Amino acid sequence: MANSNTQHWSFDYNYGSQNPQFAQELLQTLRGYSREVDARQTQVGQTIKHVYNILPNYWRGYSRDDTEGPLSIGTATVERSKDDNLWRYSVQYENTTSGENLRIQFHCSDSPYRPLMDSWRVDARNSGEDAYSQLTCAGHLTVDGEVKLRINDTEIAAGTVDASAELTCNWALFDVIPALAQTIQTSNDGVHIAVLEDLEQLRPKSRLGSLESIQTPIRLDGYYLYGTGLLPSYWWLDAHGDTAIVSTFFETLVLKERIG
Amino acid sequence: MSKRPNILFINTDQHSWDALSAHGNPYLHTPNIDEIHRNGTSFRQSFCTDPVCAAARSSWATGLYTSETGVPFNGGYLHSEIPDLGQVLSVNGYNVFHCGKWHVPGRNVRESFQTLYYGKRDIGAGGAAYYDSASTHAVADFLTNYNDDEPFYLQIGYVDPHDVCEYLHNHEEKWIPNPLEQGTVSEDDLPPLPENFDYDAQETVLHRVCRRVDDALIHAAILKGVRDWDEFHWRYLRWNYYRFIEKVDAEIGRVMAFLRATGLHENTLIIFSADHGEACGSHQMFQKFTLYEESVRVPFIVACFGDGIAVEKDRFDEAHFVSGVDLFPTVCDYADVSVPEQVQGMSVRPLAEGREVPWRDYAYIESNYWGRAIVTEQYKYVTEYKPKEVEDFSPPGPDAEQLGLAQLFDRQNDPRETENLVGNATYSEVVKECRDKMLAQEAKLHRQQITHPSPKRVISNWGERLRTYWEHSR
Repeated sequence: MANSNTQHWSFDYNYGSQNPQFAQELLQTLRGYSREVDARQTQVGQTIKHVYNILPNYWRGYSRDDTEGPLSIGTATVERSKDDNLWRYSVQYENTTSGENLRIQFHCSDSPYRPLMDSWRVDARNSGEDAYSQLTCAGHLTVDGEVKLRINDTEIAAGTVDASAELTCNWALFDVIPALAQTIQTSNDGVHIAVLEDLEQLRPKSRLGSLESIQTPIRLDGYYLYGTGLLPSYWWLDAHGDTAIVSTFFETLVLKERIG
Repeated sequence: MSKRPNILFINTDQHSWDALSAHGNPYLHTPNIDEIHRNGTSFRQSFCTDPVCAAARSSWATGLYTSETGVPFNGGYLHSEIPDLGQVLSVNGYNVFHCGKWHVPGRNVRESFQTLYYGKRDIGAGGAAYYDSASTHAVADFLTNYNDDEPFYLQIGYVDPHDVCEYLHNHEEKWIPNPLEQGTVSEDDLPPLPENFDYDAQETVLHRVCRRVDDALIHAAILKGVRDWDEFHWRYLRWNYYRFIEKVDAEIGRVMAFLRATGLHENTLIIFSADHGEACGSHQMFQKFTLYEESVRVPFIVACFGDGIAVEKDRFDEAHFVSGVDLFPTVCDYADVSVPEQVQGMSVRPLAEGREVPWRDYAYIESNYWGRAIVTEQYKYVTEYKPKEVEDFSPPGPDAEQLGLAQLFDRQNDPRETENLVGNATYSEVVKECRDKMLAQEAKLHRQQITHPSPKRVISNWGERLRTYWEHSR
């Protein structure tokens, strides 16, 4: 099964006809991004934005007839700014396969674990042809650790977080993993966290661990996120602490631009 | 007459019957589907009509077996004159909605249902990671806005755990180390190899040609990849499969929460099932397309979270054989709608209410156009039709003269199907009884000739390969 185009098993997808285009586009994107600023030296008030190219891991984003053009099926943008002891996040996720575009806004405490604070909001828009066109899901965390979600004035409970757990969001992991890199690498059992996936799905038993380092052409240090209800995802940091590649089960995010 | 109920049919994809906590599986956590079970009756002898997506779904849509629908495999086309459930309900006063995966080729879902969400690129076989969360959003939006006087029928087609297929595709062209070498999990985290990891060397020719030989007709590239696997790769496949199920369970949990929060749960019937199962290492096999238990046996739960609909709660029904053809008449029964004459299935409503009614004593299953199985309380009989010398594109059967190889398993004493009893003279009479039962069932079917050129090509190509194998094995 060895393949000359292989970069790493966790992110180098080359299913069928897209081989070797996936690796080419991934490397091309990686080479193109600017990496002058180290995210860990961010100053108060500064805004940092990472823009990721979304590559489909399978079947050209489920349009097998579409054999021309780039593989990219969308863009994910993670923007955050620090305001005193608070991090404000704004995430935009646009996917031309699902047609659902998300704008996610949340706040985190200024801790390496980026614990979620007070309330958050997910605005979803469907660009497909069907009845569902848009939706706002507003959420908050109660003092008892209960996650509440509200859609169209109807509220549900989406689980309870143990008081001892650090609850963060998958979109904050772009900063959590760089901040905890040393801790993760030296821990035998990884770092245990709770994740509110896309601010809606609570994964209370999640674990961050480390993989090896590789040279893609740039040096990347690998990490993973595992847990109950989670498909494994793999996170690769460059020498500046920027999350350069995230390979989830179905797609690969590749850093193409850093602003700030 | 009391107000007719809303009906919510939630289906997952490639979900084996025992891959639920409620069924005693210790390797995954499915609190939300378990909650549906606690509010309803789970039919433990529930079988798909055909272990592949499009075929099984054509039975859900029509109440017919797949040799009748025109969709005997994924590349089939539903015969245009067969009414589907959406059409039947909508002319009888129901508002009918679809969300998520449909996968019934030949029938435009948007013409039979109002679609809440069907993807930007129409949902095909897989892609749960893209579609399932959006489907939940669409359903939450629907439930929190529904205020029509007429009842609704809503079917939600979740794609997971079908994405386990993509996990497997990922192994086609590259070597992925086992998880212990990856350093991501420990051996203790992994489920054990299945007890029936070995497989029967006397499987049908159809199964060998479709799934075992080097140039297998179905997903040969995956087969090539998994041949290099060690024990931990197989166990990690199972580990991943259970994570996919946990993921879709969480989606279902949000739908259930919104159903309750809106108060709609009082008068909403919930049916939960899956189109087919997943081999997940049993018989050294992956995916579906086989007539083994893991591939054909699926969950089927009828429930209500409120008191508005009479359903026996927190109960396993071990006795009654339920089939994918039963969805259509069950929904019609609850909806108080007449069932089209040709429908083969039976309403499980009386069973869910705890009433005894005359019922079939077997399940009948088809596979890959030529494959057949009969499941009884004691035995499972698997066989195949040999391809015709000159293909006429009429699905085969009933024809005892055309039958090929067979397998017989004692379900009570060998539930994992490890010992093929066909060659054992002690069981010759059992084999005959099973065969006769199968042929009698087939005599009741209304098969139609396949006319669409695309499935005809598949039948021609596959038939040629099968004929060649038979000739070489003489």
